[in-house]
Amino acid sequence: MKKKAMWKDFYMEIRKSPGRFLSILFIVALGVAFFSGIRASEPDMRITGDAYFDSENLMDIKALSTYGVTEDDVAAFSQIEGVEAAEGSYSADFLHNTEDDQRVLHVMGEQKEMNRITVSEGRMPETVGECLVDDASDYQIGDEIILTSGTEDPVSDTLATDTLTVVGRGNTSAYVSFGRGSAAIGTGSIYAFVVVPEDTFVLDTFTEVYLKVEGAQALTSFTDAYDDKIAEVQTLVEDSTEERGVIRKNEIVQEAEDEIADAEQELQDGREKAEKKLKKAKDKIKDGKQQLKDAKKEIADGKEQIAQAKETLNAQQKKLDKSKKEYKDGKKALKKGWKKYKKGKKKFEKKKPEAEKQLQSGKEQLDELADQISEDEQTYQSLQLQIDTLEKAIKSGQGTAEMEKQLTQLKTAASGMNQKITAEKSAYSTAEKQLSAAEKELSDGENELASTEKTLTAQEKKLASAKEQLDSGQKQIDDAWDELEKQEQELIDGEEEIKKNEEKLADARKEYKEGKKDAKQEIADGEKEIEDARQELADLEDPKWYVYDRTTLIEHSSFGENAERLGAIGRVFPVLFFLVAALISLTSMTRMVEEQRISIGTMKALGYGKLSIASKYLGYALLATLGGSVIGVLIGEKILPYIIIYAYSILYPNLPQILVPYDWGYGLMASGIAIFCTMFATFFSCWRELGSQPSVLMRPPAPKNGRRVLLERIRIVWNHMNFTWKSTIRNLMRYKKRFFMTIFGIGGCMALMLVGFGLKDSCYEIAELQYKEIQFYDASVYLDEDVTEEERNRLHEILSEENNVERYMDVNMQSLTLVNEEGTEREVYECVFPSDKEEVARFVDFHDRKTGEKYTLSDNGVIINEKTAKLLDAKVGDTIYIKDEDEGNKPVRIEHICENYLGHYMYMTPEYYQSVYGEEPDNNTILFIMGETSTDSSAASQGALPEDQLEAVGKNLLKEDGVLNVSYMSDMEQQLDDMLRSLNLVIVVLIISAGMLAFVVLYNLNTVNIAERKRELATLKVLGFYDKEVAEYVYRENILLTFIGAALGCILGKVLHLFIIETVEVDTVMFGRIIHGTSYLYSLVFTVLFSLIINGIMYFKLRRIDMVESLKSVE
Amino acid sequence: MSGYVELKNVKKIYHMGEVDIEAAAGIDFEIQKGEFAVIVGPSGAGKTTVLNILGGMDTATEGQVLVDGQDIAGYSQKKLTAYRRDDIGFVFQFYNLIPNLTALENVELALQICKDPMDAGEVLREVGLGDRMDNFPAQLSGGEQQRVSIARALAKNPKLLLCDEPTGALDYNTGKSILKLLQDTCREKGMTVLLITHNSAIAPMADRVIKIKNGRVSDMSVNAHPVSVETIEW
Repeated sequence: MKKKAMWKDFYMEIRKSPGRFLSILFIVALGVAFFSGIRASEPDMRITGDAYFDSENLMDIKALSTYGVTEDDVAAFSQIEGVEAAEGSYSADFLHNTEDDQRVLHVMGEQKEMNRITVSEGRMPETVGECLVDDASDYQIGDEIILTSGTEDPVSDTLATDTLTVVGRGNTSAYVSFGRGSAAIGTGSIYAFVVVPEDTFVLDTFTEVYLKVEGAQALTSFTDAYDDKIAEVQTLVEDSTEERGVIRKNEIVQEAEDEIADAEQELQDGREKAEKKLKKAKDKIKDGKQQLKDAKKEIADGKEQIAQAKETLNAQQKKLDKSKKEYKDGKKALKKGWKKYKKGKKKFEKKKPEAEKQLQSGKEQLDELADQISEDEQTYQSLQLQIDTLEKAIKSGQGTAEMEKQLTQLKTAASGMNQKITAEKSAYSTAEKQLSAAEKELSDGENELASTEKTLTAQEKKLASAKEQLDSGQKQIDDAWDELEKQEQELIDGEEEIKKNEEKLADARKEYKEGKKDAKQEIADGEKEIEDARQELADLEDPKWYVYDRTTLIEHSSFGENAERLGAIGRVFPVLFFLVAALISLTSMTRMVEEQRISIGTMKALGYGKLSIASKYLGYALLATLGGSVIGVLIGEKILPYIIIYAYSILYPNLPQILVPYDWGYGLMASGIAIFCTMFATFFSCWRELGSQPSVLMRPPAPKNGRRVLLERIRIVWNHMNFTWKSTIRNLMRYKKRFFMTIFGIGGCMALMLVGFGLKDSCYEIAELQYKEIQFYDASVYLDEDVTEEERNRLHEILSEENNVERYMDVNMQSLTLVNEEGTEREVYECVFPSDKEEVARFVDFHDRKTGEKYTLSDNGVIINEKTAKLLDAKVGDTIYIKDEDEGNKPVRIEHICENYLGHYMYMTPEYYQSVYGEEPDNNTILFIMGETSTDSSAASQGALPEDQLEAVGKNLLKEDGVLNVSYMSDMEQQLDDMLRSLNLVIVVLIISAGMLAFVVLYNLNTVNIAERKRELATLKVLGFYDKEVAEYVYRENILLTFIGAALGCILGKVLHLFIIETVEVDTVMFGRIIHGTSYLYSLVFTVLFSLIINGIMYFKLRRIDMVESLKSVE
Repeated sequence: MSGYVELKNVKKIYHMGEVDIEAAAGIDFEIQKGEFAVIVGPSGAGKTTVLNILGGMDTATEGQVLVDGQDIAGYSQKKLTAYRRDDIGFVFQFYNLIPNLTALENVELALQICKDPMDAGEVLREVGLGDRMDNFPAQLSGGEQQRVSIARALAKNPKLLLCDEPTGALDYNTGKSILKLLQDTCREKGMTVLLITHNSAIAPMADRVIKIKNGRVSDMSVNAHPVSVETIEW
């Protein structure tokens, strides 16, 4: 209360000059807001992300093995120390063919605990066949998605159904941004995720297991504390996976062995079955053949028989015909016979009485004759007895010639007698004969007639029977013909059947052959399968476990990186801003103290203590700065992080809410520095003034000496200078403090804007530079490790035939770790390019960033990219090492260092590869370039068409065996753009802030300038200078200062830009180092524009300067 | 006969809130061409108001201000500036030199904007600063600075030289020599000089003395035999 007057004075000071107070307050507020706001963005972004992840209970660790994850594994993991919970889950990639597109979908089983889904529309799927789709997709509720597998295995191997009905849409913190990752099917890049109930999956094992780490939820993601915690548990999990691996392997081996045994059994069975079947078939065929043969023979026989039968029949017919004829003849003859018989009978009956008479007479004659003969025979007998007695007498010798003559006579008589008898006898016989003949003739005639009749009757009978026979014969023959015909038909049928059967047999044979072949093939396949399985089992590696932290989530780490980038920007950018602000408030305070030296002197003269006097100014400064700081922190830490994170939410659309808690650390830091700077400056100025005697203080300060400037020595320039310019330049040099303050202020603002624009350039430039000036190829085709020569040739063929593909090249690309002498490690892509330098130059252009000097690969060393070289601290000619823990590090010599922005590469020739590794490189990648249209920048900017072509080619290639993946440069370019787009907004914030600062700074400086020179300007007015001329007098300085400041800003900005770029850029990316001319222009235009606006405002201020000022004494 | 410079019933009223302050309550006087006139009066009498109005730095609320036949009271700001530029030479109490211009350059600064300038070097030699032309004001003594100020005013070849307490910040001897310079200039070049001072002791050296009191001319006398500065003591 003692110093009530002082308080009053203090209060009045603020009331009297609210402008100054407010300008200090505002500039401090701006500086503090910017500093603490931008800096707080980094932790705020992390907090925002963390809250989101926690709200969906996002997993901390994901583990998966090459052989799936069993329930036991999950149980075992949950027992690991530090693991709060473990949850097995399913996921798999499928294709969905839409009308004009083929999409890859990542299907995930719904989890109960972790990785919860936020439903934005509809509901969660409840039954098999329902699903929830990605918000980022264009599926709507009610849509039906029919999945195909994209591989040889059917969908049903994995899922219970291939048709999913969309019942909801949603998002998950597992996919924090737009990226959905890549897959080994279809186009290779996942279009969207799909959530299905867990029991939609029909797999034996989980595909992955998610772990929550105890206590991790309380920590903020992306912080070291969190990372350390996770890393600790991750190590434990990794350790445990070794054990799990062994267990799992044993299981698998057991299973596989069982399976193989089963398979073998099955194969054996199959083989036997097949053999049996084949044998049966063969037998059947054989039988069939035999049967056919028999049948054929039968038919042949039958035919022969038929022929024979025909012949016989014909013969018989002939015979029959003959018989018929005979019968006819017989009949005719019979008729004739009957006629003759009748005639004969008639004749005989006519002749019979006469004949019987004759016969009677004949018999009487005969009896007479017989009597004669009997007399003659008695004579003859008496003669004979005489003869015999004579002969007996002759014979007894007693015969005499008479006797003999008697005898001869007797004999002659006897003979005659005999002859007579004989003749008689003969005549008798004849007669008898004749008679008997006649008799006989008669009886014969009668007999004959009777017999003829009998014969005729018999013949008639015979003929009748013959007729009967004939008829029956004919019938038989006819029947036989019919039969024959029938049989012939049968034969024909038989033949046909045979033919058919023959065909059948041929088929059967063919079938048999095929069957045999198939069976053989099948068996061979089976054997091969078993063999493969065995081989596989033999080759069976220990199940490989992969244990990931959240960085495995798509674009998850980019969130952290973005926060980190923000942090990097926050560390540098606002510092300059803050510095400028602090400097301005400092200047204002200093000036205020200087202005009030008379007042200070008076106070001193009145006997106030130094501290009391100084306390007014210190209090003033404190109040202004503290006020500004509080406002700055309160507003800045809310608004700036919100704007920035809001900007990022374009990239991360699912962030439920933006959290911007006050970060008191940064707030206090900014306020502390601001207060310290201003207070120190005020105190320092006060101290200086207070050191002087009151009398000195109450006199105006000795005017500053005008001084010749260096430029005056250069007479030629100086003499040719307009007079006012001379004055301007001297003025500038005279008020050095103001000069430097202004230049620094303008330069700082210009630099900030330039950095803002430059950052934009650098970010945007890299995609352009990387893909238009360095890597020309449009896509890389990654091949299977064990791709065959055939498959490769096929790919070459496809690429050569594809019209849109201009050229392609086989290269070896592999990821490896480089290490330098100090042990710094860096992952790079090793690219072994063919020796054809001209060809290589069409794919990748090696050149120095600064000089543009072109390099080519040689056999003496490698070319590595700039960023890698920098990270490894390596120069041309240095030797670095390819890390190889098994065989020792392999040295490589750096021959050149080339410009490159994205990724890390080490290029070499196959020959150099050979010399490094001692073996030939395997080409595992094909790079290809699309035709002119796609590389032509104008066409590329037109967009869709070349990219569609590219994807079409890629899709074709992916269909081939041996292709693992196709990655398109345009995709990477797109990703890059997405990543940088968010940065762009931040940059806009920076530019606007810098602009605001520029405005305030210029205003402040100009106000001070005018205030300080009021008298001088009033004098000029009195001297008759028009307002315009007075303004010009001031403006000239301002303009000059603006340009000098801008020039300084260019240099400062470039340096700062480079510094920020190097801080901001993440390890995988090298941002462009160049700030475009347009950015310089923009920054300059803005700076000049602000300057002009300020000067415009100043014009009115100048006009208001009262000329009476000039009459006042110098204060 | 009307004077070269003539003020007729010039009033200047400042409105300070509800109170009207009459700085000039109807001033009338005239000065002939080539005269050395002195306006004397105590502080707050309205001397500065007269100077401001006559110098074109302020406008009269009422009345006529004729300079060489032109009524500048009705001038616009722009016309007033032109009037200051072409017709008026001003010598300030505190010299008001541009500190970072040399003596020569300070003169040149004024010449740059006027129609019919004299040679700056010559004028400086005339005021006796031939050898200090390239010095900065800070390197010059008060008297020398005032000489530069006078040279700056003269070089414009004005119709009227207005001097506001030119000796106020100078010591006695220097003040005298400055007054001598002004008187000589008036005599030799026929320049009309109007000098404002609260020091009535220098009135005898003037051709015409105008006394102002309470915003009015209390007395105006023509000195038929002005004395030389050297003879005046105060």
